Amino acid sequence: MNFDALIIGGGIHGSATAYHLANAGIKALVLEKDYVGRHASGVNAGGVRLLGRDLAEVPLSKEAMTRWQTLDQELDTDTGFRRRSLINIAIDDADMGKISSRINQLAELGYDHEVQINQQELRERLPHVAPNCVGGVVSEQDGYAIPYKATSAYRLAAERAGVVFHEGESVQSLRQIGDNWQVKTDKATYDAGILINCSGAWADKTAVLMGDNVPLSHSAPMLMITTRMPHFAGPVVGAISRQLSFKQFENGTVLIGGGAKGFADRDNNRTTLDYKKLALAAETTKTFFPIMKKAVINRMWAGLEAYMPDNLPVIGAGVNARNAYHAFGFSAHGFQLGPVVGDVITQLITTGKTSFDLNSFRIDRFERKVL
Amino acid sequence: MTEIFDLAIIGAGPGGMSAALQAAEFGASVVVLDRKATPGGQIYRDVTQSPLLDPSVLGVEYTEGAELVNAFLEADIDRHQNADVWHIGENGEVLYSQDNQTHRLVARELIISPGAMERPFPIAGWHLPGVMTAGSAQVMLKSDGMVKDGAIFAGTGPLLYLIVAQYLRLGVTVNAVVDTTPAGGVGRALQHLGGALSKPAYLIKGLKLLNEIRKAGVPVFRHASELSVLGESKAVGLQFKQDGRTHSVNADHIFLHQGVIPNLNMTRALGMDHHWSEQQLCWTPTLDDWGQSSIPHIAVVGDAAGIQGAEAARHAGRLAALQVMHKLGKMDKADLKSMSVNHLKAMNSFKAFRRFLDAYYAPPTQQRIPTQNSTLVCRCEEQTVGQLRAGFEQGAKDPNALKALTRCGMGPCQGRQCGHTVSELLADWQSKPVSEVGYYRLRSPQKLLSIEELSHFQEVQPAPKPAEVSA
Ligand SMILES: Cc1cc2nc3c(=O)[nH]c(=O)nc-3n(C[C@H](O)[C@H](O)[C@H](O)COP(=O)(O)OP(=O)(O)OC[C@H]3O[C@@H](n4cnc5c(N)ncnc54)[C@H](O)[C@@H]3O)c2cc1C
Ligand SMILES: Cc1cc2nc3c(=O)[nH]c(=O)nc-3n(C[C@H](O)[C@H](O)[C@H](O)COP(=O)(O)OP(=O)(O)OC[C@H]3O[C@@H](n4cnc5c(N)ncnc54)[C@H](O)[C@@H]3O)c2cc1C
Repeated sequence: MNFDALIIGGGIHGSATAYHLANAGIKALVLEKDYVGRHASGVNAGGVRLLGRDLAEVPLSKEAMTRWQTLDQELDTDTGFRRRSLINIAIDDADMGKISSRINQLAELGYDHEVQINQQELRERLPHVAPNCVGGVVSEQDGYAIPYKATSAYRLAAERAGVVFHEGESVQSLRQIGDNWQVKTDKATYDAGILINCSGAWADKTAVLMGDNVPLSHSAPMLMITTRMPHFAGPVVGAISRQLSFKQFENGTVLIGGGAKGFADRDNNRTTLDYKKLALAAETTKTFFPIMKKAVINRMWAGLEAYMPDNLPVIGAGVNARNAYHAFGFSAHGFQLGPVVGDVITQLITTGKTSFDLNSFRIDRFERKVL
Repeated sequence: MTEIFDLAIIGAGPGGMSAALQAAEFGASVVVLDRKATPGGQIYRDVTQSPLLDPSVLGVEYTEGAELVNAFLEADIDRHQNADVWHIGENGEVLYSQDNQTHRLVARELIISPGAMERPFPIAGWHLPGVMTAGSAQVMLKSDGMVKDGAIFAGTGPLLYLIVAQYLRLGVTVNAVVDTTPAGGVGRALQHLGGALSKPAYLIKGLKLLNEIRKAGVPVFRHASELSVLGESKAVGLQFKQDGRTHSVNADHIFLHQGVIPNLNMTRALGMDHHWSEQQLCWTPTLDDWGQSSIPHIAVVGDAAGIQGAEAARHAGRLAALQVMHKLGKMDKADLKSMSVNHLKAMNSFKAFRRFLDAYYAPPTQQRIPTQNSTLVCRCEEQTVGQLRAGFEQGAKDPNALKALTRCGMGPCQGRQCGHTVSELLADWQSKPVSEVGYYRLRSPQKLLSIEELSHFQEVQPAPKPAEVSA
């Protein structure tokens, strides 16, 4: 079968890339070994966060944030996006100092989306915060979406635009024959002009098949969610110097993250939880928000996520093969970038360039010679 | 310091208690954890301290349990009651809640016997106040001596008749028994008659129950179909068809039951291999004759291993414990073989008998796979057949994908109630075998766990660290 482009991986990035390609008139096939949204893109914390982004990511993240505000209309499907603002809490003057210097740094680059708030304003926005918290920093456009819904929304929009998705089909080998790619899966063989690697936690394996070698690691960030609680927190909550992260959804459930990682077994699509670390997250949450003492945990889980040594993704063309592109390695914050990366890849494919500086995201930014 | 046991057993029902007794006979260090205040499990619940003046009305199969419970209480076994296990690690780690504290123990081998649960009965109105399962009615009876007058019992399966009979023996009135066992049961079951005849005592017991109900003059509607609960904000009656005619019977309490299925919370959360049993129409862990699962040091016994009943659970418990003793080096292969042989024989005859019962009392498709869009499937998140079908049409073809899209199975029960219905619905819509559709991925905690409790679970002091890059 012939396609203009073949995308490996049906996460949010593969699905969004397919959507943008189709809108540019490029016929794409997405191959997904499990089902669309099965991994990180469907089970993440749904945080749509511009606050605290690495400076290299800010331009992409800002653009993504603008798109999130109207994404439901664009895709004509519910992504679950809610603009709620995100506040990172400061518990002492050292934290406040970090906030000021970060804001100054952003200002020099012409950004003003992070705004410092004092203790009184913090308490107004988050009445249940512990009294010893002294202030914080807020980004107003931030919020959350429902991960599986958002990924499905891209998939549905892509399908309406003519993209074909094959689920339960795993790419086994790749060969470049002339300008074309021959792709063998466990079920069929395809020919495609362009190949795009959106394989998430497995992307280093795909990259090797494409001739590129990358120091990707994978891990299993963990989450827990409570049963419904009376509403007590509008904004999404984080902290400057602690592993605190939670959000209360409209139905009252509270999702608690915080970066704690369990154990990943990607060969078997499995993760194992580290309960001691989850206990620590529970401890942190109730210290910052005493009201959470009463919260009741309903479920804890982890997802398989790809990490780069510098916690920045790989976005851009392959270096060792023609007509090859990569978008992976999002290091626990790729969901928010969903609405922009696929468009950038599409621009690269159709025009050979993009207005974003992708230098920090080059696949060959780390010396790596040994396979 | 964490204690290390030779064997940890989850569940103090007939399966777990028998396994513990067998292991104790070999001098192994055994710990048994059970979430209830007293041992006995579902069937012998509170048998040694019944609230009833005369517990024998519950039947000899109930009172006979006292002997097992007493033996269990006297043996050299570490027993933890009120111990709710919420996580089992592949490394033999067991985390459980007791007195709102998380405790941890480690065992070389594990036998889990968490019992059965009632099969969901998703019909119109089954979520209304006044409707509950017949099993819940029995729990109230066994543990608090509480009953409801003038109820309707509806559905199928031996347990249903047992509970009706227990009610009647206590002089409680029953408005009607609406029996959904399809006509032609004998024909269906005939090929398994050999199995039935191997347990004549059970057959006679069953027939006696039916006779008791008949004699009490309770109206029994046989071969009923198309059940729906009547009422807007609470149940006021039950409507159904019989012989092409529509009937309705009034009642404030409707007790539904269509058999029991293995309780999969633990076996699924452990990631064990399971298969769909066409005979019992339910998911079942895949095990060898000794109950050994796909996870090397974990065995499953009792109804959680496939519905066989309390007596079979006793044999299964002993078998699993024997194999564990062999694995721990407490007996050689020849002894294992000779000590197992009678239990294996007994298990085979129970299995043969079950084939007969399962064929006779097969819960009808109509009552398992709801077709009306308005029927509720997930009671926690109030998801109806129609909403699930919409999710399915949007691409969610797998139970987990459907869960993520619709929230079906995400509520406090974590899909423990709707799991089988969802697997069967998805299979039906795709004309696929249920085995290909799969089941929810279950996770810990296997019970609701408070943040307060979890936050105390740590031997090391939290060292405050700068936040890592994460969203
Ligand atoms: C628990 C958790 C919480 C998170 N919280 C947030 C958050 O709050 N905010 C945020 O912005 N980000 C968050 N993230 C990160 C975010 O989820 C990811 O960065 C993002 O989803 C990555 O998307 P992806 O499309 O690159 O990868 P994935 O969603 O992993 O998709 C890759 C797909 O490729 C498929 N695949 C791999 N190899 C092959 C092959 N050979 N053939 C066919 N298919 C293949 C896989 O099956 C997979 O489905 C979180 C992640 C996790 C795990
Ligand atoms: C509602 C109901 C009523 C029944 N009534 C009868 C009856 O009257 N007569 C009859 O013959 N059969 C009855 N059965 C079937 C009967 O349960 C079994 O045949 C028999 O009890 C099976 O024994 P078992 O050891 O497998 O499980 P059970 O006897 O059910 O024992 C399982 C034990 O495990 C414990 N447990 C489960 N999960 C955990 C956990 N996470 N942590 C700690 N402990 C846990 C439970 O509290 C329970 O004590 C009933 C089944 C159900 C579901």
